[in-house]
Amino acid sequence: MNNQYDELPDPKKAFLNTDSPRGLLALNAIIAAIYFYVLVFHFTPGNPILFTLLVIGQIFNLWQVFTFIYTVWDTSYEAPRNPAYHAAVDVFITVAGEPTALVRETVRAAVAMRHPAKRVYILNDGYVTKKENWRDMEALAALEGVQCITRTVPGGAKAGNINNALRLTSSPLVVIFDADHVPHPDFLEKTVPYFADPKVGFVQTPQFYKNFAQNYLTQGAWEQQELFFGPICKGKNRLNSTIMCGTNMVLRREALFAVGGMCTESITEDFVTGMFMHEKGYKSVYHGEVLAEGLAPEDFLSYTRQQFRWARGCLDAIFRYNPIFRSGLTFAQRIQYLSSASFFLSGSIVLMHSILPIIFLYTGAVPVIISGMLLTAVFLPYIFLTLYAIQRSSNFTFTFPSLALAMGAFTIQLKALYGALLRQKTSFTVTPKEAVTGNFVRLASVHIIYIAVAVFGVLVAFAREGLSASLVNNLAWVIFSVAIFIPFIRASLPPKKAAALSVPEKERAEKQAYERHF
Amino acid sequence: MSAIFKSPPILLTALVIFAGGLSLFFFSSQSLRLDEAQSLWQTSRAPVDIATIVAKDVHVPLYHFLLYGWRLLFGGGVETARMLSLLFYLLSIPALYALGKLAYNKEAGLFAAALFAISPFMNWYGNEIRMYTLFTLLVILNQYFFIKLWKSARHTDSASSGAALYAVTAILGMYSHYFFFLVLAGQAVFYFLRRQIFPRGTLRKLITSWMLVALALLPWGYYVYSIGEVQNQEPLLQAPTSIILFNAFSQFLFGFQADHINTVFLSLWPIAVILAFLALRKRHGGISPETEYFFLTVMLSTALAFGISLTFHPVFTSRYLILAVPSLYLLVTSVFSLYPERAARFARGAALFVMAATLIIELFSPTTPVKENYREAAQYLTAHAGGADVILLSAPFTIYPIEYYYRGAAPIRTLPLWNRYAFGPIPPFIPDKFPGEVAQATQANQNAWILLSYDQGYQEDIRLYFDTHYQRTDERVFSPGLTLYKYKLRYDTPLSERSKKSIEKSLGGDVPKFAEQILGLRTF
Repeated sequence: MNNQYDELPDPKKAFLNTDSPRGLLALNAIIAAIYFYVLVFHFTPGNPILFTLLVIGQIFNLWQVFTFIYTVWDTSYEAPRNPAYHAAVDVFITVAGEPTALVRETVRAAVAMRHPAKRVYILNDGYVTKKENWRDMEALAALEGVQCITRTVPGGAKAGNINNALRLTSSPLVVIFDADHVPHPDFLEKTVPYFADPKVGFVQTPQFYKNFAQNYLTQGAWEQQELFFGPICKGKNRLNSTIMCGTNMVLRREALFAVGGMCTESITEDFVTGMFMHEKGYKSVYHGEVLAEGLAPEDFLSYTRQQFRWARGCLDAIFRYNPIFRSGLTFAQRIQYLSSASFFLSGSIVLMHSILPIIFLYTGAVPVIISGMLLTAVFLPYIFLTLYAIQRSSNFTFTFPSLALAMGAFTIQLKALYGALLRQKTSFTVTPKEAVTGNFVRLASVHIIYIAVAVFGVLVAFAREGLSASLVNNLAWVIFSVAIFIPFIRASLPPKKAAALSVPEKERAEKQAYERHF
Repeated sequence: MSAIFKSPPILLTALVIFAGGLSLFFFSSQSLRLDEAQSLWQTSRAPVDIATIVAKDVHVPLYHFLLYGWRLLFGGGVETARMLSLLFYLLSIPALYALGKLAYNKEAGLFAAALFAISPFMNWYGNEIRMYTLFTLLVILNQYFFIKLWKSARHTDSASSGAALYAVTAILGMYSHYFFFLVLAGQAVFYFLRRQIFPRGTLRKLITSWMLVALALLPWGYYVYSIGEVQNQEPLLQAPTSIILFNAFSQFLFGFQADHINTVFLSLWPIAVILAFLALRKRHGGISPETEYFFLTVMLSTALAFGISLTFHPVFTSRYLILAVPSLYLLVTSVFSLYPERAARFARGAALFVMAATLIIELFSPTTPVKENYREAAQYLTAHAGGADVILLSAPFTIYPIEYYYRGAAPIRTLPLWNRYAFGPIPPFIPDKFPGEVAQATQANQNAWILLSYDQGYQEDIRLYFDTHYQRTDERVFSPGLTLYKYKLRYDTPLSERSKKSIEKSLGGDVPKFAEQILGLRTF
């Protein structure tokens, strides 16, 4: 049977074709508030600890819904730019042991960018990170006619590498590309004109994954990016709160110097540095157009490492540089930074929601005593409207695999939270650009144990109270959690190359990725 | 499966044969139910009387006139009358296929038709002597021509004929059930939300159609007004609650199930969230207008009925909202079509399996709540109630199905006492007057057989009154909510027929009068 929608949208444009259905968003906010009110105030609390946990979880969910609505309320803003404006640019390609062929492609594309005054540099960190191919980068630079800055004194990871290059270069604008992010020829033509406004500190462009059709994981990773680089970044652009993402961006050297260079104290140096720039009064711009194309992590280990780095960095930002208490940020910027960083707290909420039915199965304890179907009558419109609002605002690019991977990563977020709370040391790890093969099912062991615990719990509850309405309802919630965890478990299994995606999906995705767009 | 999908006529024929066979072999032999008995009673009169009774009963007369003609042509039995509803139901199956094909594609149409053919809810009403399958058929046809208004925008001729047929089906629909206005309301809202997809001139066509509907309804409205009285003889509906709301959806999908089964279905509601999550997929252009339309039809009609019931008068019942069923099934079809191929296949298979299973349960389970075994109750009374007994029915309107089957000697009366041929509505239950009504109903009878069903809020009062005043000697449950109690009214030994005749002959009067005057015995 054919599906209703046989054609996929253009992957480089669809996520940027955002919508702001204000009536829908307002309705969503109202229904969310009603749901919260009914859940918290209408029903009799059950177990006080579980009730408190549930209320905390719902407050967090409400925060996420409201900040999302606030962000995407208007995604049409475009910052002014002067096409006649030109300034000299230093193009930095950060390298730390990536394959030479991959770097070569990026270097050549950087050289091919149209701009009257640019210099391209390979920022070679291979020596300090003890990569075997560090000399190859110098040879590559010589061959391609660009300069190579090889760091000999370690420190500060990627941020240190950039700061080192800042000391050795002088152009007023700096462009940063990760080794795998291949720019389009018009990258500078589209981004530099924003700097005609002397208050613009940095311009960020989307981080497109050209290998999104490679497997189930790259697809999920890209679909997560789509929501962020689509409606969220476009909404943040309106609020002068664009998040600096570390690659495919242009920075004003003066602004970087004003904040002491790239922040070396955080593993998400970009996020924090951007916040510091905003603090100093510099503006940010998000240019909603794919101008460079990179690679998504192709294996589960790389994916989880990347997720951990983002989670740990953003949670560190909350605990060490809490945007709410930093002077110099506007109200909108405080809210936006906090909402972005606090996304990585959602792991705790996923855990809470998953574990409540398990607690019922084993003990019979419930957070609220519910009679009738009133909760259902308010919850279903709330959740459906929220999903539909996300779908509408993201031009229907938000998908179940991306949602499930994000929610399934709750273990990673909890680990990051634990590390951030205890201020454990962690190091910057470059996301590998080649697939690491192996079986990573151990990374999903918590999810698998959850399923086993749930199955046994159902037996316990059945023995205790038979097939009661409460048992059936909690069983349904367990099934819900398991349905969310399955894509995460699936991604942790060794990939079957041809079967990583279902055949029609893969054919469609590959066709689009490789035939139509390349 | 794909080979079958290439031949919709074969699959549709199979579906029609399945639904028809199921009806002929299983459903149609069931006992007459209250609503059906009312339809038979109403259509056993002259057309003018039918119009009057239907008007008083807060309904519209198209179905009743059709049933009147049908019975004239084919006979007046229960099975024959049920065939008319079955005919409309069977016609609805290919009609829904056509609607699904027009809205999406032939595969979607076939799947929706399959859901419709095995639906326990639709199969139930496919065999009920009421207007619901006619109503559903007209809803499907009307929606077909409504969607054609924007789908066939390029073909002027077909657009014009489509608009005319839209108007015709709307008029007939309004004469099949008052709730058809919910369909038109949904279409109006949809037009104003998505008017950009309609070709120019559609608003004019729609307004013209709606005006024609209003004009066509005027005579009936005037007639109802001129009668000046509403006498709803249907059971009192409960004020809606969140449970009733979700029960309606549960019934649309899983039919009428016993409470414990229904509770399981309702408790599984978080599965609906999973189904929505799975539908999150990339797609061009978002949700199709057709899906939006079906969603709006389901939600708006349900919400309006719920709101009216909360604010004015309880009218929320799943059978009135049968208009939402075709849209709901097409909506389910649409959601499943968004899933990845394997998940979609699984979801479709699971949906068909669950519906088939619940159909079997509904059909064979004695605890199916809508089963009304008045036939067996009446046969039992025929066999056991003697001439000196009285049969008391409550609620009063349950007299229709009982008298259809009852062939015994005991008189039948209702509690509260009701003369359905007299002017005015069914009298209410008034506790102070009740003992007097009991006295009047039982007179000199020996035993009272009290058949309680369709609780109108006073069933328990009646049972308690008899339990505290008389001796209960028997109790029997015929179907869920249909209970018979036997009470002994008096302890004096009744005279034998021979003795009675002898006394009457010698005294020249009747025995009860003699007993009352001479022996001082009271009948209770």
